[in-house]
Amino acid sequence: MLQLTTDSNWTELGKYIIKTEHDIVQVRQLIRVHAKEMNMGIIDQTRVTTAVSELLRNMYNYGGGGEVLVETGVVDDKNALIITCADEGSGIEDLDLAMSDGYTSGMGMGYGLPGAKRLVDRFEIKSEKNIGTTVRVMKWR
Amino acid sequence: MKEDYKIERVKERINYIEDVLASVAAGDIDARINSEVEDDLSGIEAAIDLLIDDLTDELKQRKKMQKEVEEKLAKIQEQQKTIFQQQSDLLELSSPVSKVWDNVLILPVIGTLDSQRTQIMMENLLEKIVETGCTISILDITGVPTVDTQVANHLLKTVTAARLLGTECIISGISPAIAQTIVHLGIDLSSINTKATLQDAMIYAMKQNQLSENVKLHSLFADSDENEE
Ligand SMILES: Nc1ncnc2c1ncn2[C@@H]1O[C@H](COP(=O)(O)OP(=O)(O)OP(=O)(O)O)[C@@H](O)[C@H]1O
Ligand SMILES: [Mg+2]
Repeated sequence: MLQLTTDSNWTELGKYIIKTEHDIVQVRQLIRVHAKEMNMGIIDQTRVTTAVSELLRNMYNYGGGGEVLVETGVVDDKNALIITCADEGSGIEDLDLAMSDGYTSGMGMGYGLPGAKRLVDRFEIKSEKNIGTTVRVMKWR
Repeated sequence: MKEDYKIERVKERINYIEDVLASVAAGDIDARINSEVEDDLSGIEAAIDLLIDDLTDELKQRKKMQKEVEEKLAKIQEQQKTIFQQQSDLLELSSPVSKVWDNVLILPVIGTLDSQRTQIMMENLLEKIVETGCTISILDITGVPTVDTQVANHLLKTVTAARLLGTECIISGISPAIAQTIVHLGIDLSSINTKATLQDAMIYAMKQNQLSENVKLHSLFADSDENEE
C-alpha cells in the first residue's frame, strides 16, 4: 500500500464536505481563493482549481461524496498548497488503468485523474477496494 | 380548644398554598393564594404570590421569545424558498440565446456549467437553431471560470448536437489560462472551431456569412447564364 506524504507542521487552511454538485462549485471557488492568498498567478490558480475540480467530481460521482482538507506547508524545501480529497466509496481496483488517459468506467472522458496529475506538482493516490480513495495533490508556491 | 382550631386553620391554609403551587406547576399560571387575612402567615403567602408573579412573567416572556424565533425561522425558510426559486429562474435566464444578425446565434455562458445548466443551455440553443434556421452559432465562455473534463465534455456534446442540425458551433472566450489547462488535462478540442475572443468569433461568422452569400449569388448568376443560352 502506497503511503501519502504527511507532516505535522502543515497548517490547516480549511476542511470541507462534498455532498452535492453545488458543494463542488463552492469548494472549487474556495480553492481558488486559497491559491490566490498564497500569491499564485492566474495560471497556477486555474491549474490547481481545475485539478481539484476533477478530484471533487470523482469523489461525488464514484465515492458518494467525501471530505476535502486544504493545508499549507513546506514539502521538499518548497512552500506548497496541499489538498487532500478523501472518500469512503467503492475504491479503485486497478490504479494503473484508472490513471491512464481515456479510461472511464462511466460516461466521462477518462481524463480526470491523469489530467489532474499533469496540472499539479505532486500527485499521490491511495485506494483500497470497498474502503475508499484518498488523493493528495500539491502545488508549489 | 381555641388552639386546636387555630392549628386546623393554619393546616387548611398550608394545604391551600400547596394546591396553588401544584396548580402553577401544572401550568395554571393564573393561580394565586390571594389571602384575605392579616397575620404571621399572610406575609409568606404574599411572598409566594410575588414569586409566582415573577415566574409567570418570565414564562410569558420566554413564550413570546419562542414565538418570535419561530416566526423568524418561518420567514427565513420562506426567503430560502424564494432564493431557490430565483436560482432556478436564473438558471434559465442565464442561457439567453439571441440572433445577433442574419444567420448567427450567440449564447454567452456566465458562471458555472454544471450538468443541469448545460442541459438547459443545450436545449435552448438547439431549439433556437431549429426555430431560426441559423447556420452559425457562437458559444461564448468568457464568463466560465473553470473548464474541467465534465464541462469540456458538455461543450463537445453541444457542438456535436448543433452540427447534427446543420449548424457550425464556434466556441469563443477561452482565456490563455484555461487554454493551457485544457491542454494539460489532455482533452482534444481540435475538432471544435475555437476563437480566443467573442469578437474574433463574430468576425469569423461574418466572413462565413459573406462567403455563403457570394456562393448564393454566384449560383444565381450561373443559373441565369444557363437560361440565356
Ligand atoms: N474516488 C473514486 N472512487 C472510485 N473510483 C474512482 C474514483 N475516482 C476515479 N475512479 C475510477 O477511475 C476512473 C477514471 O477516473 P477519471 O477521473 O480519470 O475519469 P472519469 O471520471 O471516468 O471521466 P472524466 O473525469 O474525464 O470526466 C473512473 O471512471 C472511475 O472508475
Ligand atoms: Mg473524473
